[in-house]
Amino acid sequence: MMLKVTLRNLAAHKIRLLLTAVSVILGVAFVAGTLIFTDTMERQFDKLFSNISQDIAVDVRAKRDPDFVDDGTGPAVPVPASLIDTLQRVDGVHSAFGNVVGYTALVGKDGKVLSTNGAPAVGFNWVDGDFDLTEGRKPQAPGEVALDTKTAERAGFRIGDRVRLVVRNHPTQQATVVGLLDAGHLMGASAIAFDTATAQRLLLKPGYFSDIAVRSDGVDENTLRDRVAAVLPPQFEAITGTEMREEAESDVAAILGFFQTFLLVFALISIFVGAFIIFNTFSMLVAQRTRELALLRAIGAARGQVTRAVLGEAVAVGLVGSTLGLAAGAGLAVLLRELVGIDVENGLVFGPTPVIWSYAVGVGVTVISAYFPARRAAKVPPVAAMRDDVALPQRSLRIRLAIGGLLTAVGAALMVLGLVGVELGGNVMIPVGFGAFAVFLGVAMLAPVISGPVVRVLGAAYPRLFGAPGRMAQRNALRNPRRTAATAAALMIGLALVTVVNVLGASMRSSVDRAIDTQLGADYLVSAQGGQAGVDATAIEAVRSVPGVEQALPVYIGQGRFDGKKGAYVAADEATVKAGTTVKLRSGTTAMGEDGMLISTDEAEAKGWKVGTVVQVRFSDREQERLRVVGVYAKNDFLGARVLPTAAYKAHESAPPFMLVVNTARSDAATAQALRRALADHPALQVQDRAEVKKEASAQIDGLVGFLTVLLTMSIIIAAVGVINTLALSVIERTREIGLLRAVGLSRRQLRRMIRLESIVIAVFGALLGIAIGVVFGAAIQNALADEGLTVLHIPVGTLVVYLVVAAVIGMLAAVWPAWRAARMDILKAIATE
Amino acid sequence: MTYSAPITEEALTGPEAGDLAARALQITKVYGSGDARVTALDGVTLGIPRGRFTAIMGPSGSGKSTLMHCMAGLDSIDSGRVLIGDVELNKLDDKRLTRLRRDKIGFIFQAFNLVPTLTALENITLPMDIAGRKPDKEWLDQVIDTVGLRPRLGHRPSELSGGQQQRVACARALASKPEIIFADEPTGNLDSRSGSEVLEFLRDSVRRMGQTIVMVTHDPAAAAYADEVIFLSDGRITDTMVEPTAVKVLERMKGFDLPGGGA
Repeated sequence: MMLKVTLRNLAAHKIRLLLTAVSVILGVAFVAGTLIFTDTMERQFDKLFSNISQDIAVDVRAKRDPDFVDDGTGPAVPVPASLIDTLQRVDGVHSAFGNVVGYTALVGKDGKVLSTNGAPAVGFNWVDGDFDLTEGRKPQAPGEVALDTKTAERAGFRIGDRVRLVVRNHPTQQATVVGLLDAGHLMGASAIAFDTATAQRLLLKPGYFSDIAVRSDGVDENTLRDRVAAVLPPQFEAITGTEMREEAESDVAAILGFFQTFLLVFALISIFVGAFIIFNTFSMLVAQRTRELALLRAIGAARGQVTRAVLGEAVAVGLVGSTLGLAAGAGLAVLLRELVGIDVENGLVFGPTPVIWSYAVGVGVTVISAYFPARRAAKVPPVAAMRDDVALPQRSLRIRLAIGGLLTAVGAALMVLGLVGVELGGNVMIPVGFGAFAVFLGVAMLAPVISGPVVRVLGAAYPRLFGAPGRMAQRNALRNPRRTAATAAALMIGLALVTVVNVLGASMRSSVDRAIDTQLGADYLVSAQGGQAGVDATAIEAVRSVPGVEQALPVYIGQGRFDGKKGAYVAADEATVKAGTTVKLRSGTTAMGEDGMLISTDEAEAKGWKVGTVVQVRFSDREQERLRVVGVYAKNDFLGARVLPTAAYKAHESAPPFMLVVNTARSDAATAQALRRALADHPALQVQDRAEVKKEASAQIDGLVGFLTVLLTMSIIIAAVGVINTLALSVIERTREIGLLRAVGLSRRQLRRMIRLESIVIAVFGALLGIAIGVVFGAAIQNALADEGLTVLHIPVGTLVVYLVVAAVIGMLAAVWPAWRAARMDILKAIATE
Repeated sequence: MTYSAPITEEALTGPEAGDLAARALQITKVYGSGDARVTALDGVTLGIPRGRFTAIMGPSGSGKSTLMHCMAGLDSIDSGRVLIGDVELNKLDDKRLTRLRRDKIGFIFQAFNLVPTLTALENITLPMDIAGRKPDKEWLDQVIDTVGLRPRLGHRPSELSGGQQQRVACARALASKPEIIFADEPTGNLDSRSGSEVLEFLRDSVRRMGQTIVMVTHDPAAAAYADEVIFLSDGRITDTMVEPTAVKVLERMKGFDLPGGGA
């Protein structure tokens, strides 16, 4: 029986339930889209890895040091070619051959390095059997290369074309394309093959390999690995082919996993916002059906039955919403794929995981959100059926105030804990995230109390500006503070997060600007785009030969262990430090000699080091050296925590300088022009003056801010749907009143304006709350990160005002449909409505 | 001086017509089609004299409410003409019709007469606020004093009794000095004491302020407050009665085949 009531209600309120479902659909679509997309990518990579090197039984390479991030510069310890002979004598080895891999970028026809969209640009030595040629022949001599077909196609090169290549530590190379190889789907990466000798010379060093692959003559790979391991010198290790492929896969899985978590956080935010909408809609539906519910109670329905009838509707809405959301999610996955710009061979992977999660999340959130209204519905006294004006029993706002205040306080405390670095569940983001979540819930609960005064102030000008419709709009927004608050709270969340992102972005920009202004000493910086190529010796010569250049000094960066603790460092000479930065020495000297080092005040404090302390430094080639602290400098963002002398770096590392700091007699346009002309043969290198360094940094920050804002837009769209929903339901609730107003002379236009104005005031209220919270969150995070270089708090007032205006526009647009419906109402029918 | 129905069309368009606040000329109104076809108004012709209190009576389904709605511009007619003053309603678009209702017509409904978010005073001045006009202060004071609501002007409708709410509605209808006020069962939801207060007030506003009021009712006691009663049955005017009393009206009503009570 109660099921029938539920079904009838669903049928009777199609439009409102559809609107509720929209918030479920959008949230679920986000979740499903993310899962489908990452599943698809994962399978793509799985296929990629299972296809390559299938015939490799064992791989020999330098032992990995988990401390050193593989930054694509090749192994710190190469494998000598002489090891091949040793390996070939091992019983069960069919053949052994060396691989060389290193950074190699193709220069496009426009003279710029061909973009790989973040995927690696790889050069390697041609090994028979690794790849198939689709055209031409394999590279056999210096100056010959084979390109993968996709890259050749993208860059527009054919066999016989002369191409330029950027490699590390060498000037730009000229070569002829002699072959095209089929590397399958590289997802944007480029692959360029050299003959082995050339690859060793350009990418590693002559007589050495990155690793040696071993084919088996039938012996099981584990057995062969053990036999091979037995003959290896201690710094090398042997792994099976399976292990090698798994390693590569797990690297990719880690990246995809991070990406998935990242997107799911935003999906979660959307769902959280959606929960507000669902809660609000069900509250309103229950309120409007009070008399009917009371009648059910009067004729004998138990409380539980009433609750279940309402929850039944929630389940139905959840199911419909999840199904449509899943479908929309598949569409979103396609969109994401296009957006990421990766061309995927196969269709979407539609596994069970997205399906299960979509329904779990969609139905779960709907039912949880509808639970409270459903419980309230059951509290309707049966006598309400007989009364004319019925109102649901409302819990007093005081309890709400107490709970809301408590939640806000607990949330704020959690966030502070996280921001000062207390980890919960192994992560500072967990207390911060849950804290923010609690603050949002708390403020949403407080919002009905706040809404009164704020809406009164916001709408104060309405009666004067818009007359009677204005006055009624303001009063309508105040009419049901809970409803206004829940609607506004949905918008609040999205805008709070957008504000945080913008405040942090602006602060970052200002902090970088300040750091450049106060800590950077160089007139120009020369560095490789993307940083991978480095600056080779010929480029340094070219820059030094430019008239007006007074200094062009190399700066290196590396990773090491300092007294056992991992850390990054800058390697530069004393002159470079002085020329490149406005270093302020706190104690000691900047003269490092060959075995001195400089540290920052922060590092000195953290480690308890001072001038004279001897530090054990381990480099990435596993060698150790003892360096003495000779100077302590004030925090400098360009030097970081530690500076080592160039001599120490060069003794252990092979990577070329990361950049050049250039000082000139006159830093004007002509000098910049001359510098750029001198580097015409180095397509990977860019020259930046101080303004351009700032500009590049802000462009990167802007890109990030824009990306995050786009991801947050979904939650704002959901909130807008919520505003539409609230208004549409309010209009239905106020049918009689609207009829009366029309009868006494309110025109359709005025009626529409009244609804629009109410919508705007609700939206602006939500935006104000959100922006206020966002600014507080942003300031708190900036404060916590001040030591990490986020020294300046910059609140982008202009941008925030724009968001406020955008919120008003959202309010206006959200009102279009409800206002249209209200204006279309038949006056007589409206007046006669129960 | 009466313009009792049934009345000829000539009388309503002739020289004496200037004294009429509203006129209906041969209006018909049909609901539904086929078997469900109901003729609510069947060629009704009628004039509402200025400065008089006219009651329209009839049993349920007689078309009395439809007649009022059509004359007040709330409902459209299928044929015939309706004029408020000299303005013909069927020629107006929604915008002009709305403006006419706002400026020339006052309404008192049976229930839910007031906007719950506005105070009593704001409800009274609502039509003028909508029009963006300043109310005539002196007149407004007079109206407020007549309905006797001065101490409760700042209250919201929910803080007023049913009778007080209806008096606020009356004050609203009067405040903008409309050409004509239409009242649809204004006492239908009130107890008899509050009801008679409202009716006395309506009668006074006709006698003392020269207002024109048309009231639809099925209550003979209410009709007795009017100067004239028009009886409607099956969409036609069947009779009129000048200087009615409750007893006379009741007697007259008994002549109808009452299909059932209520409006």
